[in-house]
Amino acid sequence: MTHIRRAQSADWQLSVRLCALLLLIVLASHQVARAESQHDVLAFLSIEGFDMFSASDPELEGFDGRATADFLYTYNSDRFRVLAEYIWSDTESELERMQAAWVVDEKTTLWFGRFHTISNYWTTEYHHGQYMQTSISRPGLEEWEDESGPMPSHITGAWLEHEFSLREQSALNVGLSAGIAPKFEGQHLQPFDVLNPTSGHDLAVSTRFVYRPDVFSNNQVGMTISHNDIAVVSASSPELSDLSSITQTTVGLFTNWSWRDWRFASNFVYFDVDLAYTSGEVDDQFFLGYVQAEYAATDDWTVFARTEFGDGEDGSTYLRLLPAVIAHRQMLGVRWDFADSHGLTLEIADTSRQGDDFEHDHFKELRFQWSAVFP
Amino acid sequence: MRATVTKFLLVPVLMLFLTVSRADDAVVLVTGSEGPLSDISSLDTRKAYLGIAVPVGDNTLRPFRRGKDERLNLIFLQSVIAMSRRSYERRLLSMMLKFGTPRPVEVDSHEELVERLSKNRYGIAYMWKADADADARVKIIRVLWQER
Repeated sequence: MTHIRRAQSADWQLSVRLCALLLLIVLASHQVARAESQHDVLAFLSIEGFDMFSASDPELEGFDGRATADFLYTYNSDRFRVLAEYIWSDTESELERMQAAWVVDEKTTLWFGRFHTISNYWTTEYHHGQYMQTSISRPGLEEWEDESGPMPSHITGAWLEHEFSLREQSALNVGLSAGIAPKFEGQHLQPFDVLNPTSGHDLAVSTRFVYRPDVFSNNQVGMTISHNDIAVVSASSPELSDLSSITQTTVGLFTNWSWRDWRFASNFVYFDVDLAYTSGEVDDQFFLGYVQAEYAATDDWTVFARTEFGDGEDGSTYLRLLPAVIAHRQMLGVRWDFADSHGLTLEIADTSRQGDDFEHDHFKELRFQWSAVFP
Repeated sequence: MRATVTKFLLVPVLMLFLTVSRADDAVVLVTGSEGPLSDISSLDTRKAYLGIAVPVGDNTLRPFRRGKDERLNLIFLQSVIAMSRRSYERRLLSMMLKFGTPRPVEVDSHEELVERLSKNRYGIAYMWKADADADARVKIIRVLWQER
């Protein structure tokens, strides 16, 4: 009990120190450039209900709901920027991002802190801003770590972003990041906890290339490459008892393209995963991808569909460690935007979850959601 | 019956009158009268209001928006930004969510807007030409839209 109190006390002290340091940095830069500084706060709110139906496994059936509030704070001065994102829901309360940047020039930014990994397209496009994504669900490939996402989502380290201006308002953005990777604990990846810095994590390195034919539009095609050394907490699950580490390399190709009333978003990621068991190494290779199509029927109504698929994923040793990862999904949905910044969305899906061993869990999903952003 | 016919006739006449009365309307890009800015292209104006940093020497353009004037904002979005209001707001939200890019500050009154421009030497804003002509604290950089 005494050890627990000491640990809680240490966490509290470290937390206070981190907040004080951030406050000092903001105040110092505010003093340096008082006339140019700007604070902004956004609140992304959502309430979601989802029902699962399964003819083959009644245990999968059930209704659940979730209310989520995601708060974003940004501070900007001439050469300094702070971004913090905190999410609160009935199932979690977490500081998602806490990053500070030196704006080297108008084309180059150097970030430090905890950020969302640049090798996940969907994550870096929408983060936790549920209102910003048309669909309610995220593709299984791009799920968060605690939702059995197969790739790291949170990195603590440094991230350099530079934009090369090309001809006729086109641009190439290059990002490079290096930092502390999540570790594998229980049945999912566990990101580095800044309040517990001795928790045992390895290195993650990512790079991203994005070509935008017109900087005024959101059209883009890109490539991501990541290499993640993932430490394993062998004692956290019987499945991990003889697994000492995971080395994951990914190569992804993504696109986001709008044409008239249509929009297409896709990401295809190749995984090469080496699992170091005491009995020897297992080399696991598979591929996951999705395509989402959206049609804006009117200014307020959007119809959308997404297909998620893979190759080699059914027999993957690595994915077997993530029983809740979504392996396949065929989804249809409709969204109504109203009152400037509110959305109501309905989604139905035919889904396969990885499940235990090599047996998938099959079920249908019905989701509905209200989402909004303030102010 | 006669009253109904009169109403139907009055509506187009009233619309014609309103159109004529606004024939000289124009929207202009302005900066503080003491500021160093003298020429900002339409492209750079669009970039600045879309959250793209536009350098001017060692500084960056600082755009301001005028709230509570629906017609002014509608004209600005249509003729300069070339986006619907919803698309524009989503673009700004997306830039802020992804990179922490600040959104153009929105102010509610002409007085507050002019005060902001006086304090920010690299600040720009859009307003009715008549308002700009009547206020010596701002100078016109370019005409963004002209009623024809």
